[in-house]
Amino acid sequence: MVQHDTPPGPRAHLSSAVTGQVLRLQHLLLTEVRSFLCAQGFIELLPPVIGPVTDPGGRGSKQVDIDFYGHRYKLMTSAILYKQASLLAFDKIFYIAPNVRLEPPETTSTSRHLAEFHQIDVEVAGASREDVLALLEHLLVHLVRRVVADGAEHLERLGRDAGAFTELLQGRFGRMSHAAAVATLRELGHEQSADAEINWAGEAMLSAKSARPFFVTGYPKGSRGFYDREDPALPGSLRNFDLIAPEGYGELCSGSEREFDYARLVTRMRETGENPAKYAWYLDLAREGIPASSGFGLGLERLTRYVAGLDAVWQASAYPKLPGVVSP
Amino acid sequence: MNALRAPCFPEDAIRLRARTGAGAAFPAAEEYGATLFGAAGGPSGDRLDSLRLVPPVFVPQRLAKLIELGREPMPDDVDLGTEIGGFSAPLPVYLSAFGSTQVGSGDHGLAASRQAGRLGIPMVIGENVVPVNGYGRAEDNPRGALLERVEAYAAELPDGCGGVAVQQSTQDADAEVWNLVYSDPSVGPLLDSGRLAFELKVGQGAKPGLGGMTLVPAGSSAALAELYSLGLALGERTLRCANPGTFTQEILRQQIRFMRNNFPRVRCWVKIHPGRDVGTAAAVAWAAGADAVTVDGAEGGTGWAPTSFLDTVGLPLGECLTRIGDHDGCLLASGRMWEGTRAVKAIALGARAVGLGRAALLAVDEDPGSGLLRLAECLALELRLLISALGQYRPDTVGADDVWWPGTDAPTRERVTS
Repeated sequence: MVQHDTPPGPRAHLSSAVTGQVLRLQHLLLTEVRSFLCAQGFIELLPPVIGPVTDPGGRGSKQVDIDFYGHRYKLMTSAILYKQASLLAFDKIFYIAPNVRLEPPETTSTSRHLAEFHQIDVEVAGASREDVLALLEHLLVHLVRRVVADGAEHLERLGRDAGAFTELLQGRFGRMSHAAAVATLRELGHEQSADAEINWAGEAMLSAKSARPFFVTGYPKGSRGFYDREDPALPGSLRNFDLIAPEGYGELCSGSEREFDYARLVTRMRETGENPAKYAWYLDLAREGIPASSGFGLGLERLTRYVAGLDAVWQASAYPKLPGVVSP
Repeated sequence: MNALRAPCFPEDAIRLRARTGAGAAFPAAEEYGATLFGAAGGPSGDRLDSLRLVPPVFVPQRLAKLIELGREPMPDDVDLGTEIGGFSAPLPVYLSAFGSTQVGSGDHGLAASRQAGRLGIPMVIGENVVPVNGYGRAEDNPRGALLERVEAYAAELPDGCGGVAVQQSTQDADAEVWNLVYSDPSVGPLLDSGRLAFELKVGQGAKPGLGGMTLVPAGSSAALAELYSLGLALGERTLRCANPGTFTQEILRQQIRFMRNNFPRVRCWVKIHPGRDVGTAAAVAWAAGADAVTVDGAEGGTGWAPTSFLDTVGLPLGECLTRIGDHDGCLLASGRMWEGTRAVKAIALGARAVGLGRAALLAVDEDPGSGLLRLAECLALELRLLISALGQYRPDTVGADDVWWPGTDAPTRERVTS
């Protein structure tokens, strides 16, 4: 990995040879995301930036409030609610969406958290979790194939060995249930709650021991937002997933089948400590009906970091903002 | 002339303790030999009041202490130190949440925070403090804002004990109180030393089944109007009502798991109101991983409550503790706590520690510098006297055998313990 601890000043960062190569790779990735998804019939929408509510998220990240003519609005932590709503217009949509999350300062040291970042946000009406897992697998294989073919020069200058992608390019991503991930970590002597997210250290351990990307599926209720659908056949388990990159790069993407039933949404909001009244516009839509769907948000900077073999995710941003660090 | 009034509370006795400290545990010295003393007051409906603490004749735990010490144990040998919801505390007492009323915020709240810090006892910061009083960052800094209270407390706190529990109710979730605290660098030292807890507020002690209520100046109501139901003008103020939140067993279980998932570095506390299913609620909370469950008997409080609720709605504290029954969790009890007997009875019925709410406010109203310190000094003395009289030397060994229920039909069979 290319080693850097913290971002230098904006001049040094933007004019560095490494940043230039990384942003060229990112540009290539974005071009190919659009090419791939548009060829599959997706419509690219421009994402909302503010709204009366946003994704409540988890793991202690704080939303940014703004004063919208005397009303408290939020910057998008993710546009998940709008993604579901957009399916009233089109069956397959995607955004390249900016997100802002004031992550706890402790995430500064994870090498993979930014307070401002972008997601390749995809939503498909009528799709199952398995459908979007296949879509994501194909998307990632396509992107890495194009990078290896068209970005070889950038990879070489960054010292990234394209051989790291051999298994990925064969399209054989691993699958592991959350319960199996917990059991594996416990066997490794790592403390991991069966009722919670895989913690960051645990996720890094799983990632480091894998030679290929893999999905962790079926996170427990109580670890994710209200919009991840509970498995009707397996109460307490969600029809969701994370995509974990190999080599210790960790999570690249989260996704799920979405909850769309009004009463279940309200109940799940309460289970995640939310006040449903805040979500009036969204719940009004759900009460009248929104399509069942599945989708995911693939972190653009994380994907770039993985592909480019960078030490830290901030190197994949032109204007990096680390949690708790005052930055331009 | 003191500004704070508590007509339904033993105000004079608390003020005396806040002025004079441990000496107030006894009748006035000048009355010695000149006054006849005896029990006074009638039952309140709370079985805790009619319970008696019943020291045994045979005291095997005193023998164990005697062997340990090599001399006859005295009340001073009672070790009041305990663990409260993941925090170490020098006595089984914590500072209850005051809520957002004028009484509980501002200078009283700060004085109580400072003295609780010096005592090294845990402190709970109430719901609605952030939405109503502010958080305490640069542009938003009224007296008694959350950060100011935390800083006042932490500045006095000895190493290795105490901790702050920050409440969040359903309504507070809109203000993201926990997210705000969790990511605030100034709270870092408490977080890093394992002395931060979040308390999920499931219900109101003084008004079970309702949300929080305070009176706010009419001018401030517009700013809060989007958040709260504001129906009633009372004089120059407006009544502000938060929603009570909707809970089922599954909602409570999942909210606790979500708290633990999202804030892995803090302790998880849960405050439940004195509902008829308080035992089930406590069991659900512990099973989901709560480090402490707080039950607040229907005893009034610092917040605004309808008079109809104060006397007749909700279970009394003694009944709550009975319904919760045997358990392995950390149970915290509050409601009309200020002196030793009620505290020891609550501990005997399963509480790990008791919370000072109104008593702490009266004490700092009596003396903003040391009132709470003296009240706690007197309380600690009484705890030592009472626990040692029961032949015990730690609060956590006090149990159901140490109390007598009047009016029970079946004669109590003695259990021979030595």
